[in-house]
Amino acid sequence: MIEVKHISKTYGKKDSLVTALNDVSFNIPEGSTVAIIGKSGSGKSTLMHIMSGLDHPNSGQVVIAGEVLHDLKGKAMDAFRANEMSFIFQSFFVEANQTCFQNVSLPLEISELKQRKAKVTEALAAVGLSDKINAKASELSGGQKQRLAVARAIVNKPQLIFADEPTGNLDSVTGDKIIDLLFKLNKTNKNTLIIVTHDDELAAKCQIRITLKDGKIIDFKQRKKVSK
Amino acid sequence: MRIIDITRRSARNLKQAKARTLLTALAIGVGAFALTLTLAASNGAQSFVNRVISDNFDPTEIIVAKDESILGRGDTNKPKEYDESFGSAVVNSGASVQIKQLTDKDIQKIRQYPEVSQVREGVTLTLEYITRPGAKKYVANAIDFSPAQNPEVVAGAIVKPLSDKTVLLPEAYVSSLGFKNPQEAVGKSITLAVRKSIDIASILQNGIPSNTNDIQELAKSSSALEQFKIAAVLKKPTTSQPGTELYLFISNKDAKALNDIAKIGTNQYRKYTYAYARVKNGENKANIATVQARLKKDGYTSQSVEETQKFLTQIIDVLKAIVAAFGFIAVIASVFGVVNTMYISVLQRTREIGLMKALGTRRKDISRLFRFEAAWIGFLGGAIGSLAAFLLGTVLNPWITKRLDLGTQKLLIFDLKQISILIVLLVLVAIFAGLLPARKAAKLDPIEALRTE
Ligand SMILES: Nc1ncnc2c1ncn2[C@@H]1O[C@H](COP(=O)(O)OP(=O)(O)OP(=O)(O)O)[C@@H](O)[C@H]1O
Ligand SMILES: [Mg+2]
Repeated sequence: MIEVKHISKTYGKKDSLVTALNDVSFNIPEGSTVAIIGKSGSGKSTLMHIMSGLDHPNSGQVVIAGEVLHDLKGKAMDAFRANEMSFIFQSFFVEANQTCFQNVSLPLEISELKQRKAKVTEALAAVGLSDKINAKASELSGGQKQRLAVARAIVNKPQLIFADEPTGNLDSVTGDKIIDLLFKLNKTNKNTLIIVTHDDELAAKCQIRITLKDGKIIDFKQRKKVSK
Repeated sequence: MRIIDITRRSARNLKQAKARTLLTALAIGVGAFALTLTLAASNGAQSFVNRVISDNFDPTEIIVAKDESILGRGDTNKPKEYDESFGSAVVNSGASVQIKQLTDKDIQKIRQYPEVSQVREGVTLTLEYITRPGAKKYVANAIDFSPAQNPEVVAGAIVKPLSDKTVLLPEAYVSSLGFKNPQEAVGKSITLAVRKSIDIASILQNGIPSNTNDIQELAKSSSALEQFKIAAVLKKPTTSQPGTELYLFISNKDAKALNDIAKIGTNQYRKYTYAYARVKNGENKANIATVQARLKKDGYTSQSVEETQKFLTQIIDVLKAIVAAFGFIAVIASVFGVVNTMYISVLQRTREIGLMKALGTRRKDISRLFRFEAAWIGFLGGAIGSLAAFLLGTVLNPWITKRLDLGTQKLLIFDLKQISILIVLLVLVAIFAGLLPARKAAKLDPIEALRTE
C-alpha cells in the first residue's frame, strides 16, 4: 500500500509563491497501475518527485509499505531508491556512448547485485532488444531507446516504477508498444506502475486515474478492485 | 557501488572524451617528463660522485689541513695573523694565497693520536719536465699515490703500496714519450726533472760567493734528474678529481723526497697543505668523528670522505632543485588544467549524474567517480611523461656518455621505484585537483539535473 497523506508543496517565497501541490491525499494498492493526469503545470511531476523521495514536501507524509518515506536518511533513502523503485523519463536518459548492456547494468552496479549478465540479458529480452546487447545506445531509434530505458527500469525487479510521460517523445504507434510493454511487465513482475501522462486514452487503461488541477486532486477513479 | 565498477565507469568516461583527456594528461606529462629526467640525472650524478669517491678516497681516511679556507671554510676577507707555518698555495682561481700549512711537527702530533694508525702527507709537486732519451721534454705534475685509488690500467700492473722509483704513467704520455704502445712503455725508465730551489751542494763546497755574477749564477738553480721505472700505464680516468687527469703517480716516499729537493731553502720546505690521517677501525663512523673532534680541538680543520661526498653532492642537489622546480611548476599549472577538464566533464554529464542519483547512487560514489576520473588523468600523464623520458634517456644515454667521456658511467639512471612513486604522487595531485568538481557533482540536485528543456 502506498499512502499519500496531506502533501503540500510550494516553490519560491512571498510574491513569487507557487503552490505546486495543495493537500493531496490518496492510497494506492501495491501492484496497481496508476495514471496521473492533468494540464501542464498542474503538479504531476512534483507529485511524482515527492512520492519517489527525490523531493521533500512542505507538509504531509508518503507511507510506503508502512514506512514514512521522508524519514529515511541519506543512506537508507539511497538504498530504498536503488532497490525498491525505478524511473522512466520522457527523454529516455540513456547514455548514448555506452552499450545497451552497460546502460542496463547501471542499477545493478548501484545496488551491487551479482549475476549481472543473466539479469541484463533477461531484461533486454523482456523489451525485445536481445540482439542489441552490445550495440551503442546512440545507434538505437527513439522507441528502442525508450525500451532500453524500460529494461533498465525493470532489471533489478523494483516494486515501484515511475514513468514521467514515457510516450511524450514517441509517435503514437511506438508509444502504444511501450505502454503495452509496461502493462505486460506489471502483470509478470507484480510491480506498482505510476505513469504521469497527458494521454486520456492511456489513462483509461490504468486501474487508478488521478486527475490534478492547480495542485489539487479533482478526480480519483479506481476502475476495479485490485487484489493485494 | 563497488570500487571496480566506479573505476571502470570513470575510465569509460575518459575514453568518450579522448582528445580532452589526452591534452589534460599531456600537461601533467610535461611535469612528469621533467621530473623523471631530473631524478634519472641526479641518480646518475650521484652514482658518478660515489664512484669518484670510491675510486679516489679511502673511507677510513680523513683529510687534515691547518688552514680553514683550504677546505672551503673560514673567512677569506679577514686579515690572518702570521705564524711560521704560512706558505703559499695556489687556489682554484689560479691566485697564490698565503695559508697556514701543516709542518712535520703537526704530522708528528697527529701520528701520536691513539685512534690514528697512519698519517700520509699530501704531496702534489710540479715537475720541471719529464722525458726519456730521444723524446722531447714535457711538463708534468706528480702526486703521491694513495692505496685507496683504483685507476684503470691499460698495461702493466699496480702494486700497492707503490714501489719506490716506479711511476704510473697516464696513457696520454705514451706516444709523446716515443713509445709505440702502452705495453712497450711498461718497465721502461723515464726521467723526472725537479728544479732545485738552490744549489746547496755548491754552497757547502764553495761558500757563498762574494762576487755578484757568481751569486746570480748560483741563483740560476739547477735541476735534479731522477730515473723512474714505468710500473703501469693508466687509462684516461673518468672518475678522477677534475684537473688531475694527467698526474703521474709516484710513491709517497718518492714524492716527499722530490718535494724536498724542490723546496729546500724556501719557506715551503716540509710544509703540506693537506695530510691524510687513517683512522683505526674507520669503517665505524664514530671513530672518524672522534678523530675529527680531536683535530678540531688541536686547531686543525678536517674533512671526512663522507663530508667530501656531501660537498660534491651539494652541487648536484642545487642543479636538481632547479630542474625539479620547473617540473613542479609544470605540475602546478597542469592542476588548473585538470580542474577545468573535470568541471567540463561534470557539466557534460549533469543528466547522467542526475539519473544515477535518482536511481540511488550514493553521494560519495558520485564524488568518487570524478575523483577516479581525475586519478586516471594523473596516471596517464605520469605514465606518458615518464615513459617519454625513459625512452629519450635510453636513446640518448650512449651518446651523452660518449660526448662527456664518461667511460662506463651512465648519466641517466632510471629507477623504476622512483618513477612509480612519482606516478603515484601525480595521481594524488590530480585527485586533489578533481576534489572541487567532484564535490559539485555530488551536490547536484537530481531534479534540477534531470529537468529537460
Ligand atoms: N523548482 C521549481 N521552482 C519553482 N517552481 C516550480 C519548480 N518546479 C515546479 N514548479 C512549479 O510547480 C508547478 C507544478 O509543476 P510540475 O512540474 O509538477 O507540473 P507538471 O504537471 O509536471 O507539468 P508538465 O505537464 O508541463 O510537466 C508549476 O507551476 C511549476 O512552475
Ligand atoms: Mg511534468
